[in-house]
Amino acid sequence: MSALLTVNDLKVSFNTEDGVVHAVEGVSYEVEPGKTLGIVGESGSGKTVGTLTIMGLTRAANTQISGQAIFDGEDLLSASEQQMRAIRGDEIAMIFQDPLSSLHPFFTIGAQLVEAIRVHNKVSKAAARTRSAELLTMVGLSDARDRLSSYPHEFSGGMRQRVMIAMALANEPRLLIADEPTTALDVTVQAQILELIAELQAETGTAMIIITHDLGVVAEVADEIAVMYAGRIVEQASAAELFANPQHPYTRGLLASIPRLDRDRSSGLDPIAGRPPSLIAPPSGCAFHPRCPRAFDRCPAELPPLEPAAAGSEHLVACLLSPEERSVKQ
Amino acid sequence: MIRYILRRLLWVVFLLFAVSFITFVIFYLLPSADPAALRAGRQPNPALVASIRHQLGLDQPWYVQYGRYMKNLIFHFDFGFSYQNGVPVRQLIFSRLPASISLAAGAAFLWLVVGIGVGIIAAVRPRTKLDRASMGLALVGISAPVYWLGLVALYLFSSDIGLIPILPGANSYVPLSEDPFAWFTSLIMPWCVLAVSFAAFYSRLLRGNLTEVLNEDYIRTARAKGLSERRVVFRHGLRSAITPIVTIFGLDLGILLGGAILTETVFNIPGIGRLSYSSIVRSDLPVIQGTVLLGAFFIVFANLFVDIFYAFLDPRVRYE
Amino acid sequence: MKSIRVCSAALLALMLSLTVVACGSSSSSDTSTKVGAVPAEQSLTGKTGGNLTVVASSDVDYIDPGAAYYQFTFMVTTATQRALYSFGPDDAVDAVPDLATKAADVSSDGKTVTVKIRSDVKFSPPVDRAATSADVKYAIERAFLPTVANGYAGAYFGDIIGVQEFQDGKATEISGIDTPDDTTIVFNLNRGTGGVVAGALALPISAPVPKEYAAKFDAKNPSTYGVNQVATGPYMIEADAKGALTGYEPGKKINLVRNPNWDRATDFRKAYLDTIKIEEGNDDTTVASRQILSGNGQVNGDFGPPPPVLKQIVNSTPDQLALTPSGGLRYVSLNTTLAPFNNLNVRKAVLAVFDREAMRATRGGPLLGPIANHFIPPAMGGFDEAGGLTGTGVDFLKYPKGNLALAKEYMKKGGFPSGMYTGSQQLLMVGTSGGAAQKSSEVAAAQLEKLGFKPKLRLVTQDSMYTKFCNVPKAKVVICPNVGWLKDFADPQTILDPTFNGKNIVDVNNSNWPQLNVASVNSAMDSAEVVVGADARNKAWAAIDRQITAQAPAVPWIWDDTANIRSTNVAGVINKFNSNWDLSFTSLK
Repeated sequence: MSALLTVNDLKVSFNTEDGVVHAVEGVSYEVEPGKTLGIVGESGSGKTVGTLTIMGLTRAANTQISGQAIFDGEDLLSASEQQMRAIRGDEIAMIFQDPLSSLHPFFTIGAQLVEAIRVHNKVSKAAARTRSAELLTMVGLSDARDRLSSYPHEFSGGMRQRVMIAMALANEPRLLIADEPTTALDVTVQAQILELIAELQAETGTAMIIITHDLGVVAEVADEIAVMYAGRIVEQASAAELFANPQHPYTRGLLASIPRLDRDRSSGLDPIAGRPPSLIAPPSGCAFHPRCPRAFDRCPAELPPLEPAAAGSEHLVACLLSPEERSVKQ
Repeated sequence: MIRYILRRLLWVVFLLFAVSFITFVIFYLLPSADPAALRAGRQPNPALVASIRHQLGLDQPWYVQYGRYMKNLIFHFDFGFSYQNGVPVRQLIFSRLPASISLAAGAAFLWLVVGIGVGIIAAVRPRTKLDRASMGLALVGISAPVYWLGLVALYLFSSDIGLIPILPGANSYVPLSEDPFAWFTSLIMPWCVLAVSFAAFYSRLLRGNLTEVLNEDYIRTARAKGLSERRVVFRHGLRSAITPIVTIFGLDLGILLGGAILTETVFNIPGIGRLSYSSIVRSDLPVIQGTVLLGAFFIVFANLFVDIFYAFLDPRVRYE
Repeated sequence: MKSIRVCSAALLALMLSLTVVACGSSSSSDTSTKVGAVPAEQSLTGKTGGNLTVVASSDVDYIDPGAAYYQFTFMVTTATQRALYSFGPDDAVDAVPDLATKAADVSSDGKTVTVKIRSDVKFSPPVDRAATSADVKYAIERAFLPTVANGYAGAYFGDIIGVQEFQDGKATEISGIDTPDDTTIVFNLNRGTGGVVAGALALPISAPVPKEYAAKFDAKNPSTYGVNQVATGPYMIEADAKGALTGYEPGKKINLVRNPNWDRATDFRKAYLDTIKIEEGNDDTTVASRQILSGNGQVNGDFGPPPPVLKQIVNSTPDQLALTPSGGLRYVSLNTTLAPFNNLNVRKAVLAVFDREAMRATRGGPLLGPIANHFIPPAMGGFDEAGGLTGTGVDFLKYPKGNLALAKEYMKKGGFPSGMYTGSQQLLMVGTSGGAAQKSSEVAAAQLEKLGFKPKLRLVTQDSMYTKFCNVPKAKVVICPNVGWLKDFADPQTILDPTFNGKNIVDVNNSNWPQLNVASVNSAMDSAEVVVGADARNKAWAAIDRQITAQAPAVPWIWDDTANIRSTNVAGVINKFNSNWDLSFTSLK
């Protein structure tokens, strides 16, 4: 099956007063129709910037973009603004982290939904309202018609995110990009929202890119996972493979740092040492080397290429360690 | 909502009482000149001064005078008579109100259009030459004193004494009902002069607000929905950025309706501002009281109106 | 007319507008031929028709001619009201009969004044009938009503028999005014002040007022006759059919139109103009002056061009300027009841040291009039008798630039052996803030400092300066630098009596700023009040002027001229008595 979205060597950098920020340093991946790609990384890893760039939302005078993002045969990165506007909200939709700040506080839910529908469809307001009510029901909100006249601040966090989802799915996009959709929500609500997303995805056949720093989230919903660090993908594998057999020291560090209920409380947490790297002056060679427990003399000098972990494997890793060395317990 | 408005209206009444009382205290207990002596002429005639003082009721204790004034005001809508020329104050004020309203309303429209327009342009083209130039000009506009601007305008553009005689000069105001065309042309310069500092301030304010708003998440959402940039800026961005402007606009307009003293003086527009100035200089207490009350009335109501309107604009403040 | 009252708002605006107009300094040398002076005999012919715009900064004091007391208001009343006597444009000294048929007849004891009036002068609509002596009687009676409160009635007509009873409400008319027939009016006085009364009949108080029309307005408090007045002169204020004024908007404008009932054959006035529009509120006198000079059909009303504009006019278009003696003077008063000025020699020292030319420069320099050397101004009876331009001969007023050595001599005589003031107290000096008046007060302070005085100059609004400070003896102001006086009519008593007579020192509204109270001067004034006959009066009051000058109660520094300006197409005629444009003789070219 041909990929719905193919990203080739995407590079994004910003010229700022403090210097050039290398946000994305050559990222490539594919998303199959109906499948979910999870992109995992810390803040500053370039995960959000990459997807915003695919949507065409980072175009500005001070931004350098190179590479390709082929969607449906079209390279989105070189498409005109007009073409992109037709695609945004219609073919590719996005939901964001904080639903309270991502919804306009002065307009009713109904108005915002209707707007999302009518910008891409020539329908009457009444028809759009009916559709909006349907959408709200679809995302699990009761009394949909009444809710249309409510304002965002009258809803709870979980309800608001449902509204965002409804808005994103209003025009049946083929790709949904979800940027940290549950980060701002309570844990119990998180589970609900993830379930909802999974359900809807199954129903509508929408492909999804889900961006998060939380491995627990991707474990639930992703088919494929890409781990990003300092603007690069450092490991990419199917979800099952990644959790069973993490290769990159960073990935292993992430997994190790997850708090577990079955561990002794007194043993403390196991964070990854050090701080996220500066994107203006990133570390030389492998960007992770200052924090890597396994770093050796080649790491600061050479940039590790993203390669199969083992010959013929679909599991990709960017690390100078040999596969045997990587498997050693850190 | 109704209860809220009613409560505010009660507060308005109380405020107006307080303003009238404080004005009375200031100008009665600490007057800068003696109205009875001013009226009596310059011959040394103490009997005449005493008689005038009695006629004007100035020989009564202050609370009697205040009481009488308020009684006339509340029951008969009678503001008393000017000490200076015996004309009823109500007539003086209301005959001048149209001029002040003409001036304020026209200038308000102008500064809103220009200020908001320039602010939007500067906000969507940040850090360009256009942005920097317009904000620089705005700074000049805010700093220039109105009176000086008015004189410069007269010496440049007035048809009688200006270098480029294209607009009617000072003292050319006629009421709208008399001659609409002459009314309009006589107000062009005053409108521009009065609007300059406000337009400058509003453009800077709007630029700041709008720039901030355009960095908000919901703007990103709007773009992600595929909306045109124009719709994003105007419907989503401006809608949020405009709310502090609305608040300030209401207050500015309220203040101006009470009389734009400097503009009225330099262009000789017979409005409330000039009346209040000349009455203060002459210690004409009933006229002072009248103009102050009128000004307070406008400001207080402008405040009330702005608060109510704000609730329309921002649904988040509606439920308190 | 009041002591010099220039609208303080105008002065404030002047100060601000000086930032736009270059400020010039005036020369200190005297000019021998006076630029812009009004000729002795003006051309009184002109074209009929057109509208004149009078540009004014403030309003009249009262629109009611029976209460009016400003020179600016008299500009209007002389066009709309026919008093018993009026002043033609060229003679500021001798009034001509206006409603009267000939000069007043004053008995030799001064206690009876008889006037015969015309029978063919009609009131404007809606009254329409001819004016009679009863109307003149009512005009003077109503001036004493508290609802009208005329400011000078008491001073000049207070000696009429029956005034007190009328004011107290015990009588419904003034018994001392007789009207034996429709054309005769007789004033019976309880003192021999008939000479003064005769002169005061040249004020608008004597213009007839129809009682049957006016009484209902005068019953209101304050009287509303002013906004319902009728006219006897060639012009009237625009009014409706009932007589209510439509042409008067307080503070904004006064529109004069022709009085349909005025008969040209009965009047010395020409009345060329069809309409006169007075436009008020022009606070910025620089802008207003420029408008008049470059415009059409305009003249100034109640302000003079500010000194920088005056200088420009003199240099470029002097024919648009008309300078005429104001009939008054400016002086710096010294409080004779407070130390150190309760000492005559100290006062003489101050007069000797004052650089009066510097004071005059603040007003515009020599162009604006001669340095004053005594108190009666030029073009008044008694001026020449008191010494004319050169003065009474006292040495302390001999030096217009001041004479420090002479001043020090007087200080020594006054008890300061070093010739300088050695006291420590600051002397309270209250002046008017803004414009030329503030400059004058600052220069005055500098003069005092030359002798070691320490003046504490406080600047306030003009009204405040008068009514709260200088006119109130209790305020204990030592020096008042911005005072002066204008004549009320062409009798020197009106210059000297309210200002230097000890019996006129009052608690409120005091115009005897030096509080001069010298027995010999007071009794001389008492005697001069009851002298009959212009020549004798002039001589008597001139002698009093000399006495007052010898007392050095104030520093007289200018007998100023009033500067009036007109547009080029205005054939302006100045009324020299009122020192402003005469609306009944001015025309358009």
